[in-house]
Amino acid sequence: MSTDETAITPCGCPDYERGMTRRSFLKRAGAAGLVAGIAHETAFSQLAFGAGPFTGDVLVVLSLRGGFDGLQAIVPAADPDYATWRPGVGIPANALWQLDATFGMHPAMVDLQPFWTDETFGAVHAVGMSEPNRSHFAAMEEMERAAPGSGLRTGWIDRLLGTRLHESEFQGVQMGSSLAASAFLGQTPELAMWSIDSFGLSAAYDDDELARWDTALRGLNDGAPGMLSEPALAALGALSVAAQITNAGTYLPANGAVYPDTDLGHALTDVARLIKADVGLEVAAVDYGDWDMHVDMGDVDGGWMVDHLSELSGALAAFATDMGTAGMAGVTLVSLTEFGRRIQENGSGGTDHGHGQVVLMMGGGVKGGQVHGQWPGLAEEDLVDGDLAATTDYRSILAEVLERRCGASAADVAGVFPDLGGDRPDVVQQLP
Amino acid sequence: MEGTTTGTIERRSFLKTAAVGAAAIGAVGTAFTGVARATSPQGHLSGDQDLHLLRRATFGLTPASVARIRQIGRERWLDEQLRPSSIGDRACEDLVDRLPQLRISMRDKYETQDFDWNVMFALGQATIIRAAWSQRQLFEVMVDFWSNHLNVTNPGDHGWYNRHDYDRTVIRKHALGKFEDMLIASAKHPAMLHYLNNVSSTKDNPNENYGRELLELHTVGVDGGYTEEHMRQSALIMTGWTIDWDTGLFRYDGSDHYRGPVEVLGFSRANDSGPGGQDLALDYLRYLARHRQTAEHLATKLARRFVGDEPPSGLVDALADTYQANGTAIAPVLRKLFRSTAFRSSIGEKVRRPYEDVIATLRALRYKADAHGTGGIQGLYWVCESLGQAPLAWSPPDGYPDTAADWRSAGGTLDRWNTHMSLAAHWWPSEIRRPKLESYLPKRLPATYGDLVQDVAKELLFVKLPGEQRDAICGFFDRGAGSPLHDDDAIVTWRLSHLVSLVLDTPAHLLR
Repeated sequence: MSTDETAITPCGCPDYERGMTRRSFLKRAGAAGLVAGIAHETAFSQLAFGAGPFTGDVLVVLSLRGGFDGLQAIVPAADPDYATWRPGVGIPANALWQLDATFGMHPAMVDLQPFWTDETFGAVHAVGMSEPNRSHFAAMEEMERAAPGSGLRTGWIDRLLGTRLHESEFQGVQMGSSLAASAFLGQTPELAMWSIDSFGLSAAYDDDELARWDTALRGLNDGAPGMLSEPALAALGALSVAAQITNAGTYLPANGAVYPDTDLGHALTDVARLIKADVGLEVAAVDYGDWDMHVDMGDVDGGWMVDHLSELSGALAAFATDMGTAGMAGVTLVSLTEFGRRIQENGSGGTDHGHGQVVLMMGGGVKGGQVHGQWPGLAEEDLVDGDLAATTDYRSILAEVLERRCGASAADVAGVFPDLGGDRPDVVQQLP
Repeated sequence: MEGTTTGTIERRSFLKTAAVGAAAIGAVGTAFTGVARATSPQGHLSGDQDLHLLRRATFGLTPASVARIRQIGRERWLDEQLRPSSIGDRACEDLVDRLPQLRISMRDKYETQDFDWNVMFALGQATIIRAAWSQRQLFEVMVDFWSNHLNVTNPGDHGWYNRHDYDRTVIRKHALGKFEDMLIASAKHPAMLHYLNNVSSTKDNPNENYGRELLELHTVGVDGGYTEEHMRQSALIMTGWTIDWDTGLFRYDGSDHYRGPVEVLGFSRANDSGPGGQDLALDYLRYLARHRQTAEHLATKLARRFVGDEPPSGLVDALADTYQANGTAIAPVLRKLFRSTAFRSSIGEKVRRPYEDVIATLRALRYKADAHGTGGIQGLYWVCESLGQAPLAWSPPDGYPDTAADWRSAGGTLDRWNTHMSLAAHWWPSEIRRPKLESYLPKRLPATYGDLVQDVAKELLFVKLPGEQRDAICGFFDRGAGSPLHDDDAIVTWRLSHLVSLVLDTPAHLLR
């Protein structure tokens, strides 16, 4: 939320607003405080015996906050109940780009068609959490905690990064916000930034001035307690790297890619910049919100949903184009949303909170060009409290990505997603 | 064990950053300047017990608060602060009166059914006003403590008509009273009933959210010895405590109350009548409030807040004894705490959290509220929000965490430096009023840079900086501590805001 806002907008879904604004960058480690006196030499020698650098895919987690209505994006047009439930807002079959016998893609997603064709873009349908949760906020928290039935209060990305050496301040980055999502909650430090160019000291207007501040702030932290000096020195380290990227000049996306001039476009641009700068990025999180379309989502010809799908598709296509085939060979992007939406449209030209959702995936290792998952159907008896059932646990998708693309061991995955079980949806290829 | 690992990784991380950056971009930035020579935390602050008490028991030093404690001594200062109604606070309440939204009753607001967030947002602003400008500082610190202990997120789902009333009739009413009364008031309040879903918990469909958090967070604590079955029984005991959906106010509905024997941690009743369920729950809440585990849980949290992240067990036991001996009264516990040797010897062992940093910065710089309206206060709310700690806004029911490890963050540190600079230079919010920067300088400038830096540190933070920090600040201006100072030098002219910002970036201001 921008800092110049002066009022909170009334909304039918206050918990949504809250979820969007209350994400926190906090460390919530329950463990004891810092041990300040570890000798530099000890840390260094331990490093020499550590595992090698991370070589798996950069994981990009795109959170479609607000409850993305996947039934309007990857549309089950051939399911006879779809049009019955959605006589007003439903996308007519003849307007869709046919994906397979059941599904078609919304025409507003035209920018992503080439990637579907070359099988680097795909989808998984009827995905969800093991327990339906229709509160924006509670669902986001639970989804990012990703440990149902356990008392863990950390986020899954934090637990993932905790399985690896922390070799770069840029290992885990929330891009597009100064506050990290709750998936980062826990002991492993992450960086949250509005953008690379704005990640700086506001008074340091040029390189000389930055050096002046850098030197002084290091001096103030020389001899400071570790609980102050460690994050301070980490910030200064990241600052100098960010400044070097910024100072490299205006970023020109490769391959003629044109990102939309929107927050999402800017955030994905900066993710691409970090990947290309090879600063040690392993997990990037980006938010794209405002999917809570209870009223007036529009129809196939225009409106809120069309605008949002167009921006999403344009940004993803630009990102994949900019990264190029070689670049995307080392990237897996996964979209998540806290819940799908009620199959029956409401009386306001929108849809209410539901359950089963669609997950979009991009990357060289993605088994694209397919709609994965087991389709449960939309007949009354197939629904869960009026919602699309979830036949694939979203964590099984992430677990498979970690195992096949990101070098995670079974033990790692068991720590990241406790009690998950062994089912995997087979949506990505094993990294060679 | 955990901490050791973390410390290692942290150090490792900034060791490697330079190499990673250099490999990537071909330029070397030295991220690590040498082995840290940690000065003991006490070394960054003086051993002055008056100032120590003020740093912990208030939201930050001001010349007036320092003058007051010097005048009447710590004991009387504490007596005064523990009787907040004895302290005149008209100027602050006049500021709060600029938020007339807060004067609407729950019932009237509920009748509007407009679900707007204005009252909740006003409450966030009022909280900042009082933290920064109330004379009743210890009271405000305790309001913050209890607001987090019995957290009902503001703004939040159902708080639009009730959260401001919860602040007034639950937290503020009992913040220095008896915990037992506060716990009962919270259990009955529509804000809590909604927040932890007790409104919809019935004998047929019990919702365990409140029953569980009542044990885990509000009373005996997660290690309080209760079982899963106790937790379920706890929820059953509280069934029937709901709201009247016509008025939005508390109502007890005996027809929704579970009947049958109940037992939680030694509290056991036949529970054989619907109407009796209300008194049953009251007995249960009183029992929990007075439980030894609750005493220790609260004592631990208070000691963590005021003494250190890992409070000594001897202190916790003593505070728990005091709590029980005084029928859950809070003020005697605080008195015991602030008189303890553990407190006296804990100088510099707490780190200011972002919200505390913002408020302490306002107080150090002697900011005044807006001349009119609350535009600047709203701005301050967003400053705190962007730092991750808008007041009352923590989402989960456990309240904002209270240890340094919880808040350690590179991005957060950078944000704090920028906030110090923004407030020092009075960039934003512009409506709140900062004195002229020159007012932080001595009337007659000292002869050297080093003395000037120390004069400003003394003026704003009431400390003498360690020599290395003084030198680091002098170095920012390309001078040494002994360099002669001239009245047209940058440090006292166009870079004076930089000097102030750097002083605020020292450990003396980041610690409390």
